[in-house]
Amino acid sequence: MIATVAKLIACRLLAAIPILLVVSALLFCVLRFLPIDPAAMSLPPNATIEEVEAQRHQMGLDRPLPEQYLIWLKGALHGDFGRSIALRREAGALVANTLPVTIQLAVAAMVLAAIFGVGGGLLLFHLRGTLFETAADFVSILLLSIPEFLWGLILLFVFGVTLRVLPFTGEVAPNLPIPHITGFLLLDSFLVGRVDVFASAVAHLILPALALGLAFSPAIMRVLRSSLFDVYHEDYIQQARLRGLSERQILLGHAFKNASLPTLTLAGVQFGILFSGTLLVEVIYSYPGMGNLMVDAVRNADLPLIQAIGLTYCVVVLIINTLVDSLYVVLNPKLRVR
Amino acid sequence: MPDPLARSLRSPRVLIALGLALCIAICALFAGALAPHNPAEQNLLAILAPPAWAHGGDPSFLLGTDSLGRDVLSRLIYGARTAMIVAFCASIGAMIIGAILAHIAGYFGGAVDWIIGRLVDVWMSFPPVILSLILMVGLGVGLDRVILAIVLVDWTRFCRVLRSEVLIVTRHDYVAAARLLGFTHWQTIIREVFPATLPLLITLISLEMAIAVVVEAILSFVGLGVGANEVAWGQMIADARQYVYQSPWNLLLPMLCIFLAVAAFNLLGDGLRRTLDVRLAETGR
Repeated sequence: MIATVAKLIACRLLAAIPILLVVSALLFCVLRFLPIDPAAMSLPPNATIEEVEAQRHQMGLDRPLPEQYLIWLKGALHGDFGRSIALRREAGALVANTLPVTIQLAVAAMVLAAIFGVGGGLLLFHLRGTLFETAADFVSILLLSIPEFLWGLILLFVFGVTLRVLPFTGEVAPNLPIPHITGFLLLDSFLVGRVDVFASAVAHLILPALALGLAFSPAIMRVLRSSLFDVYHEDYIQQARLRGLSERQILLGHAFKNASLPTLTLAGVQFGILFSGTLLVEVIYSYPGMGNLMVDAVRNADLPLIQAIGLTYCVVVLIINTLVDSLYVVLNPKLRVR
Repeated sequence: MPDPLARSLRSPRVLIALGLALCIAICALFAGALAPHNPAEQNLLAILAPPAWAHGGDPSFLLGTDSLGRDVLSRLIYGARTAMIVAFCASIGAMIIGAILAHIAGYFGGAVDWIIGRLVDVWMSFPPVILSLILMVGLGVGLDRVILAIVLVDWTRFCRVLRSEVLIVTRHDYVAAARLLGFTHWQTIIREVFPATLPLLITLISLEMAIAVVVEAILSFVGLGVGANEVAWGQMIADARQYVYQSPWNLLLPMLCIFLAVAAFNLLGDGLRRTLDVRLAETGR
């Protein structure tokens, strides 16, 4: 069983490689056609034209585009994405430092989204046929209309500014040290045994994760509800009723299991979108993850850094989608036998 | 198709949504007549004034002023214009590209379908927020650039959903009959296939308008949307965020506007989807 799953994941990942190559080539081309000269930008403004030309030659910008791409791709495969022009550090190292922060935020948000989504979905379904059904449905559409960045601002305003109960800038209180072992702050502070850092990190994570989780739960909610409706038309639900099972047993023991498959597929797709949704939430809460770095890079037109971060986002989203696909096959026995 | 149209106009959901959308559209169309002040006019003697009903409010600035003493109500009204222009143009643009490719892919099938399918796959493996940011680096700021970026990012939504619809419609007998009558492929697509996909198309446009409003707000919020001389809700939020302790209203009002606009289009899309009774392959996000 484990061997088949591993094989399946490996196959899916291999299939994602051509897509990744095309994506990286597209990314490279789009950014090369910009009216921006990275050579001139990496030199002081008073550099002579000869100096700029020399820099262009050194950076390989005078070579044909496909050759430039291959050089960049070769470097990228070794983790070398070039140097950030604005920050004057290795782009790869900058991404490696910020990626765990973003992953931690995305995972926390996804857990919250799943909890709210499943809870809300079951509640919506439970309200079927009652007076509240239309109202609840209406509310769920209104909730669907609040994107993550509005949630971010609302929560910041309510819990940070008005009630002043939760911190809303950075990932930890500024006077506390940040341990560096794995890059995942919650894990690291736990490993070095700093309870104060851990508590502060959790407090700083709550609002951003909540903002993202709330934004992505209504979609899960609505799909769970509609798949529960579908499942309830099946014969085995009637069968379970005839066997004398309580409605609660039917819902949680039979219907929920079967309805969770389409929900899981959507949740997987959502996780991919949620991962890129971290960008705005990070900007709003000054959370030092990859999204904040990306917005800075975009504002500075820092091409090597934009390329590195853009590609990283694509790779992570592709991996998430691949894993979700595989998980779907694992959980759905019908798909296992080909 | 007068029947489903009449049915959707009787749905309370559609009516509420249409009413809201109409209010915003009127603000957008008649911004010049409705706005009490010039949205760019600075009044440095009355900066960060609270709304007129609050303590210290000035009746000539009904919803207060921002950090440069500009009238918030007027800026909200002009912001509606920006949001509506983007929502309308971007969703129509994305629809045109997406619908044409979807009809070609679904109708002809085979290699064409495969190529368009892979193109959509590659495109969709870019997270939308990241792709639009990267495009804005290349295109530069401005209203037209925002529209172009949204079109370039979001045509895939139309293409994917519509293609499966076209695939189903093309198998119907009346399409084959049209071909037997001597219609060319293009005549068949335009006269027989396209009208059948129209209900789905309208629903998708409505949902896309909601997305476009959000994307425009996001881009303006991070300073990569419309230019500095144009008014946008996202820009107002970014500005008000720095003065949130002094003037919370400045932050809340544009947020409310974004929510109302997005909710109107989402409700409209949802109501149309129910009443026009089409299979929507995906949820609206």
